[in-house]
Amino acid sequence: MTEVGPHVKHKGQTIAHFKSNLLRYYWERLKKNKLSLAGLTFIIFIAIIGLFGPIFTLDPTRSDFNLANTPPLGFTRQESIYDIKSNEFTTRIIEGRIDHPLGTDSKGRDMLAMLIAGARISLLVGLLATGLAIFWGTLIGVISAYLGGWVDNVLMRFTDIMMTFPFFLLLVLIVFVYGPSLLIIILVIGLTGWTGAARLIRSEALSLRTRDFITASRALGASDIRIIFNHLIPNVISLVIVIATLSIPGVIMAEAALSFIGLGDPMSTSWGTILNAGQHTLDTSWWVAVEPGICLFLTVLSFNFLGDGLRDALDPRTSV
Amino acid sequence: MNDVILEVNNLKTWFFTRRGIVKAVNGMSYFLQRGECLCLVGESGCGKSVSALSLLRLFDSPPGKIVDGKIFYKGIDLRHCENEQLRKIRGRDIAVVFQNAQSALNPVFTIGDQIMEQIKIHKKMNTRDAQSKAIALLNEMRIPDARRALQLYPHQMSGGMRQRAMIAMSLSCDPEVLVADEPTTAVDVTIRAQIMSILQELKVNRNMSIIFITHDLSQVNDIGDRAAVVYGGKIVEIAPVKDILTSPAHPYTEGLISCLPDISADRARLSSIPGNAPNLLDIPSGCPFHPRCNKVMEICSQTEPVMVNIKGVHQVACHLYTMKIEKTA
Repeated sequence: MTEVGPHVKHKGQTIAHFKSNLLRYYWERLKKNKLSLAGLTFIIFIAIIGLFGPIFTLDPTRSDFNLANTPPLGFTRQESIYDIKSNEFTTRIIEGRIDHPLGTDSKGRDMLAMLIAGARISLLVGLLATGLAIFWGTLIGVISAYLGGWVDNVLMRFTDIMMTFPFFLLLVLIVFVYGPSLLIIILVIGLTGWTGAARLIRSEALSLRTRDFITASRALGASDIRIIFNHLIPNVISLVIVIATLSIPGVIMAEAALSFIGLGDPMSTSWGTILNAGQHTLDTSWWVAVEPGICLFLTVLSFNFLGDGLRDALDPRTSV
Repeated sequence: MNDVILEVNNLKTWFFTRRGIVKAVNGMSYFLQRGECLCLVGESGCGKSVSALSLLRLFDSPPGKIVDGKIFYKGIDLRHCENEQLRKIRGRDIAVVFQNAQSALNPVFTIGDQIMEQIKIHKKMNTRDAQSKAIALLNEMRIPDARRALQLYPHQMSGGMRQRAMIAMSLSCDPEVLVADEPTTAVDVTIRAQIMSILQELKVNRNMSIIFITHDLSQVNDIGDRAAVVYGGKIVEIAPVKDILTSPAHPYTEGLISCLPDISADRARLSSIPGNAPNLLDIPSGCPFHPRCNKVMEICSQTEPVMVNIKGVHQVACHLYTMKIEKTA
C-alpha cells in the first residue's frame, strides 16, 4: 500500500502529523486532476499579480491622447487621417510599442496597468462577496437543518423568496439609489447570493443531524450552539469550500456585467468597466474589449476547474 | 446498596406521527439503585431504547413527547426541569453509550479532541490536565498505547477500539448512571466479552449504576442484577436476574428463554415465539402479548393486567397471576 490516505494506519505519529497527512491526502487527490491544478496555478498567478502588480505598472488612470489606441506589441493599426490642406486622406500605420505591451485604450491609458488594476478589483469583489454569501448560507443552512420545525420553515421560505427575487434588478435599483460604489456592489451580491449555498448546506446538515454523534454530544451535555459550531459546521466545511469556489466566477461575472452596463464603480477600474469602454471602439481598437474578455474568461474557467477538482478531491465517495 | 438513585414512574413517551400515535413507551415504571445493573430486555422495537432516551429527553421532539409519568433522579424531577438544567445533568450525572460507535463519534475530530472537549467544558480543566485524564480513561478501557490513540481519528480505529473510546467519552465526566444502549450489537464476539468485562469493572470499581439495554439474555446473565422484560412499550416482568432466568413467570419471558439455544438438548430446530412484535401504532387491547400468548384467556384481550408481586421483589403483569391473587384474597 503506497497510497496515502486516512484509511491507512500510521504508527507512532503525532497529531500534527495526522492533520498534515489529511491535507496531503486531499492534495494528492487534487493533484490527479490536471485541469484543476492548472486552474489553481492561474488563480494564484492572477492573485499575485493583483496584489503586487500595481506597484510595478504605470498609473492606470493616466491618459496620453497622443498615444491613444496604440495596438498591442506585434500588432499594427491603420489610421486614415484627413488632411485639410491637400484635401485628401493619408493612411498612417501605428505599431505596437514596448512601453505599452498590451496597447492603450481610446484615452491613451496603458492596457496592462488597467488589466492588473482590474484583476485586483475583480478578485476582491469575487472573494469578499462570496465570503459574505457563503458565511450567511452556511449559518442559515446549518441552523435551519439543526433546529428544524418552524425555524426551518421560516428560514427556508425566506430563502425561497430571496431565490425568486430578481436579484439583478435589486442590484440595479440599489446602485441607482445609493450610487455605484464597490462596497455597495459587494454587500448586495453578498447579502443576496447565499440562497443556493443555504439550500445545499441545509440538505447536507439534515443528514448529519440524524447521525448518532449529534445525539451523543447532546447526551454528553453539549449546548445547541456548541453542536452547531463544533460538530455540524466542521462536517460541512468541505462542501462549503466547493460551493465557494464554484460561486466565485458568478460573482466576478455579475460585477463585470454591472460595470458593463455602466453601473460599476466609476472610481475603480475593473475588467467589466474596461470591457464596457472597449465595446465602443471595437472597430478601431479591438484589444480594449478582447483583453479583459480573455482575462475574465480564463479566471472564471480556472475557478470552475478548481471547484470541480476540489469537489472530487474532498468527497470521500468519489475515487479519483 | 438500597439507595435508589433513579426512579421512573408510569412513563409514557409517544410519537405523534402522520400515521398515528406511536406509543413507544406506554407506562413503564422501574427504579435503579446505586451500584446496580438493571437490564431492559426485549425484542427490537419494543420501546427499550426510547425509554432510556426519555430519561434525558434525547428523542426527537417533535414528534416525540413525554405525555405522562414521572422521572426522578436523586430527587430532581427530570421530566419537568428546564432544558438548561437537564443539559448539565446530561453527561455529568447520566451518560449514554450508543449502539454504533462508528456513527456516534464525530468523523472529523480525533478521539482525543472529542474526549477532552467534554472534560474541558464540564470539569473546567486546562488542556494538559484534560489530556492526562483522557489517557487515564483510555487506559481504564484497556486501549493499548493510549497516548497514541488520542491522536487517531475514528476511522483509523477498529470497531472494538471505537466502542471503548465511546465508553471512555461517556465516562469523561464521571457520571453516576450509565445508560448502555445495546453497546455490543455492532462488535464481534471477542470485543463483546471485553466490553462486558469493562462494564462489570465499572460497576464494581466506580460503584456505578448501569441501565443495560439488550435483546440478549446471555448478557443479562453476565452483567445484570435485576432484569426488566419489556413488551409493547411496557414492562411485563421485573425481578432479580436469577429469578427471571430460572423461574420466569410471564409467558413472554418463558418464550424468550425457550428461544435460547440449549447446547445439551438434542433438538434439531430452534424454537421461536409465533407472531411478530406488536406494532406500536396499534397496540393490542388488554395485555399486549395476548395475540401471541400460548396461555391466553378470555380476560387477556379485555383488561390490562396490573403488576403484581409474586415472590418477594419478583413482579409480573399477567392475568395468570392476578387471578390467583384474587382467588386467594
